Amino acid sequence: MRGIGKHMKQVTRNKQVKLAALGALLLAGCGQAVAPKELLSARDAYANAEGGPARNLAPVQLEEAKQSLAEANRAFSDGEDDQLIRDLAYIAEQKAQIAQSRGKRQELQRAKDGAGEQGEKLREEVLDARKKALKKTQAQLDEEQRAKAQATEQLEKERQERLAIEKKLSAALKSLNEVAQVKEEKRGVVITLSGSVLFATGKHTLLAIAKERLNEVAKAIKDQGFKAVVVEGHTDSRGSDTANQALSLQRAEEVRNHLISQGIPADKIRAVGRGEEVPVADNNTAEGRANNRRVELIVTPE
Amino acid sequence: MRFTTLPIIGAGCSLLFACGGAAIPNEQLTTAKASVAAAEVAGAPQEPAAALKLKHARDQIEQAEKLIAEEENEAALWLLKRAAVDAELALALAEEAETAREAMAAREALEKLKKELTEE
Repeated sequence: MRGIGKHMKQVTRNKQVKLAALGALLLAGCGQAVAPKELLSARDAYANAEGGPARNLAPVQLEEAKQSLAEANRAFSDGEDDQLIRDLAYIAEQKAQIAQSRGKRQELQRAKDGAGEQGEKLREEVLDARKKALKKTQAQLDEEQRAKAQATEQLEKERQERLAIEKKLSAALKSLNEVAQVKEEKRGVVITLSGSVLFATGKHTLLAIAKERLNEVAKAIKDQGFKAVVVEGHTDSRGSDTANQALSLQRAEEVRNHLISQGIPADKIRAVGRGEEVPVADNNTAEGRANNRRVELIVTPE
Repeated sequence: MRFTTLPIIGAGCSLLFACGGAAIPNEQLTTAKASVAAAEVAGAPQEPAAALKLKHARDQIEQAEKLIAEEENEAALWLLKRAAVDAELALALAEEAETAREAMAAREALEKLKKELTEE
């Protein structure tokens, strides 16, 4: 019956005691209807554990608690010794609490792992985003560099083309080598015709041979294509500046007119008189003076 | 019914001896002490709930040893069984508390990380 001794005053269990207890029960005519508080506690503890995380996360411990409780309940329904029932019930209660604790712990472990995973994922996402941004910037830089290189290449190409045209023009005109002296200068391709070839002394009428030569020059210029031609007349230093200026202009215009008659468009060619301003040789020698007396055709390539 | 499960040495206790003269519960004593040691290692003394259970376990072991000395082996046996399961519970509670701390720390670390990354 209930309340038989605490462990400190443990009543020794023996068959006689048990039989006596059973007998008392039978005499009383009713079963031991009310379970000891330890058994009630144990049942509560199990119900608690069963309804918590232990069910899914600590099934082994929960099962152990269940078996333990079953043993205690059996002892009770079999009418076993009261102290035994209490002992079994106590043990069952602790096991139920162990199951509950294990379940909770597993839950916490998962939460911890979850947080860890989230952190990892977050780091990865940020890293990815940064990598992407970097790639983008890199691509932009590459594109800029490429565009720059292309522009430079284009400029170079144009320069080379211009050079080629100049060279071609020059080459064509150099075929006139017997006819005239051709030189590439910054101001364009300069064709120098000697004054004595073109005109009689002091005159500004073209000699017949001059016309032939000029025809060749006109052909060469037209074939190659050009932008403009400037005809410059020059004299030596003998005579007045004014007279030389006038003569040089007249001669230049003569040459111009003839070239126009050979098909050079008028709006692309002009005549200029430079008088004795720009000598190319020493005016103190006959040879030098002869060289100074000249007409220059400055051809600007396209 | 229980007496049929008594070890061989004590099998005839109900005939020859008073039943308090059952075998000395050495196995249970060892088990209980081992469980207490395990709980101590897991830090149970530092956790309030666990510490309570651990003390209870130790007290019961002490009492059981006294009962053994008084040849109340049956009573001692059950005390030791209780002590063992109390110590197991103390262990479980201590480990649960440790994991709870770790989970908290992990959550805080995640919050900190989020903050850091959004501030950039």
